[in-house]
Amino acid sequence: MEAPWAQALILAPLAGAMSAFLWPHRARAIGLVTMLLLVMSVAGLGIQMARFGIYRHLVGGWAPPLGIELYADGLSLLLLAATAVVGAGVSVYAADYFRGHDAAHFWPLWLFLLAALDALFLSRDIFNIYVTLELLGLAAVALTGLGGGRDALGGAMRYLLATLLGSLLYLLGVAMLYHGFGALDIGVLALRIRPTPLVWATLGLMGAGLCLKTAVFPLHFWLPPAHANAPAPVSAALSGLVVKASLYVLLRMWIDVFGTVAAGASVLFGVLGAVAVLWGSLQALRQARLKLLVAYSTVAQIGYLFLAFPLGAASGWTAWGAVAYLALSHALAKAAMFLATGNLLRFGGHDRIADLDRVAQRLPLTTWAFALAGVSIMGLPPSGGFVGKWLLLQAALAQGRWGIAAVVVVGGLLAAAYVFRVLGHTFTQAPVPHEARPVPAHMQWAALLLAGGAVLLGFIAPFVLSMLRIGHPFAMWEAGS
Amino acid sequence: MTAGIVYALVGAVLFGLGLYALIVRPHLLRKIIALNVMGSGTFLMLVGTGRSGVGLPPDAVPQAMVITGIVVAVSATALALTLMLRLADETGRAELPGD
Amino acid sequence: MGAMTLLGWAFDGLVGTGLVWLAWRALSSPSLYAAVVLFVAFGLLLTLAWVRLNAPDVALAEAAIGAGLTGALLLGALARLRGSGARKASGAHADRPGARISAWPLAATATLAVVCGLAATLIFREPTTVGLGAEVTRNLPVSGVSNPVTAVLLNFRGYDTLLETGVLLLALIGARSFGPAIDYAPEPAPAGPVLEALARFLVPLAILVSGYLLWVGAYAPGGAFQAGAVLAALGVVLVLSGQGRGRMTAPGLAVRFLFVLGPAAFVIMAAATLALQGRLLEYPPAHAGVLILVLEAAATLSIGAILLALFAGSSFGKDNGTGP
Repeated sequence: MEAPWAQALILAPLAGAMSAFLWPHRARAIGLVTMLLLVMSVAGLGIQMARFGIYRHLVGGWAPPLGIELYADGLSLLLLAATAVVGAGVSVYAADYFRGHDAAHFWPLWLFLLAALDALFLSRDIFNIYVTLELLGLAAVALTGLGGGRDALGGAMRYLLATLLGSLLYLLGVAMLYHGFGALDIGVLALRIRPTPLVWATLGLMGAGLCLKTAVFPLHFWLPPAHANAPAPVSAALSGLVVKASLYVLLRMWIDVFGTVAAGASVLFGVLGAVAVLWGSLQALRQARLKLLVAYSTVAQIGYLFLAFPLGAASGWTAWGAVAYLALSHALAKAAMFLATGNLLRFGGHDRIADLDRVAQRLPLTTWAFALAGVSIMGLPPSGGFVGKWLLLQAALAQGRWGIAAVVVVGGLLAAAYVFRVLGHTFTQAPVPHEARPVPAHMQWAALLLAGGAVLLGFIAPFVLSMLRIGHPFAMWEAGS
Repeated sequence: MTAGIVYALVGAVLFGLGLYALIVRPHLLRKIIALNVMGSGTFLMLVGTGRSGVGLPPDAVPQAMVITGIVVAVSATALALTLMLRLADETGRAELPGD
Repeated sequence: MGAMTLLGWAFDGLVGTGLVWLAWRALSSPSLYAAVVLFVAFGLLLTLAWVRLNAPDVALAEAAIGAGLTGALLLGALARLRGSGARKASGAHADRPGARISAWPLAATATLAVVCGLAATLIFREPTTVGLGAEVTRNLPVSGVSNPVTAVLLNFRGYDTLLETGVLLLALIGARSFGPAIDYAPEPAPAGPVLEALARFLVPLAILVSGYLLWVGAYAPGGAFQAGAVLAALGVVLVLSGQGRGRMTAPGLAVRFLFVLGPAAFVIMAAATLALQGRLLEYPPAHAGVLILVLEAAATLSIGAILLALFAGSSFGKDNGTGP
């Protein structure tokens, strides 16, 4: 029997979550051990897939369309790896951030969230994905409200309503697809799909639901209050991983099922993406609080991912590769940014940008973390963000889409503006000096290492792209690239 | 089952009613009820549109999906109600701050 | 399943209209209390709809969980809202009558678009697609049970059910994490002799009904979720009559084990089948029935406990300071 790495990715965090719930005094230790298991399992799965290609597993021994299949190709693997890496960073950070009762609540919820992410990235069944989306959403909401306080609770409530609405729209799409084509497996649906009004309606519903969950403009209203007011490690996970999950589902449904029969909708995605990049970046510039700035930056960065949709038809590999790379880099960089912000918050007791009192000298590790993460967000070489934007530009220019290229460039400039604005303030002295609280070393290093990872992605691009090719996730789109 | 289509249409109308109320009504308890109504509408559509061939028993997969959905819905409702109560404790109103 | 009679059509039309009317009234009535009661009535009528749609397992689940327990949760939350002093200018019984957020034109448009789109696609549909019913029927003999819904839930798509029990547990953990002492159950009056006698009578009866639903689910409508809901209902009655509340608000390790039992059984079964059969949740056909029953039994206890705990106490160590 082959080594059960994929199954471990799902079962281990579930078992860990239940154990942490049963023995709250050991919750932290259980959480960290489970995280280690997850990192090992992802590495194991990666090696396994590098040797044998796509990973498939029939749960219960029943083949689709009757049963559910676990499925991993290059795209799933990279997102699983992102989950493991960001998860590890957040876990190390959270180990020092949460104490006592909060820790007893955090670890089971966090492990459930990881289980949901892993199950989602490994799933190929649209109803199974619904269940994982709900698991993910509820865990994320509970984590958002963990600190208490009216801002966090209000953000969590808005998030809950939005995510439940998104799930219902998605489930309605599942109902329609089953009604029209009698199957729940993405592979089977891909074979049976035909361009009919039913499919257009389903794309509208599912697309709306998933865009709401991914906070694509104009359905992004819930994200800034939720991500900005959640505890720092939770914000890192939300912006880094959770929004990528619904994006992943949308990407899969588009690439395998909808994109081939409803290609016209890609223009809409592109437009929304462009607006998100510009509007989100401008909003980020206007913020007085650092956490809100970082949250609006997420809104903008998500826009980049949608810019690739109109490019996919003609430059398949380049465009979709760009999406994957941007998603990965953003996961690491944005998580690092939120962790760094959490450090600043712990240090000075506030996150007002104008009052960052000489933190460059007093918290050098954290400032470096923010700076490196900013490099990737801006898309400066050498970083993962640069590789992603480069691929995007390549695809856009190859098709003569000057508008998209312009948006990418302008977005990068705006990102530079808000990143440098923050960094500038870290060198200056605040009008009223603040008392500083010490920040544990683990928290600073977690932020820095994640940021370093985002930059490192730029150096290992050939390796990452070769892993992405496993299983040819974009097979139907590669004609033009 | 041609009666199914009647219920599926009812489900569509329920979904719409719930969606409108969710967006427009400010009180959180009513929003939660609206989400439940939308869920029920979706479940009706799942089962109402299901077809087996002539003479076969009804399709069990949508029914299983709906049972799963009902359990998920009650879980979400419980979480939402607790969050609403906690928010009302903090702010004195059971409404989203800023509405 | 023969031809639809005129009477059948009329009945379904009546039920359908009733559902729409009840939902509309529930969402638009000024009194929140009326809204909840109307919603419970909606749920009960929906149960009837499920019966008409040949879905008795769903009907049972809807009655017990969708209408019953959800109604209890909503009523409890409403009572707690009034009691906690959430003040409103117009009084504690209603939100602002006729309150509308300014987004209503957008909402109306979106709603209309959705409903019209759905109706259109429903009416113009493919004539040839059938669902997976034939597949289920074909594989039913080796699934270990003869109720097709149970076969789908516990065998063919058991992975979904595994995750779903996780969702239920997660909701409980999440609800408890928002802070101390959210308790829906009102302060009980001293239980009179009638209530005590009733409770004593109800306990064995409810356990019997629950066990029956669990057992019969293998070959007739029923199953773990319905059985668990009956246990939860019993628990709600006991709590409301003042008995046994403490164990839910300050759960020791034993009660927490009960919460975890269902999802843990699934995870252990998944791991065991992976180790022995090479596949997750692949039951050896000879023993499938027994294994499914074991899973369902664990799930029943867990579901009952979690649903009760969601109603009756969502904090650790509320009064006696025992930590989580």
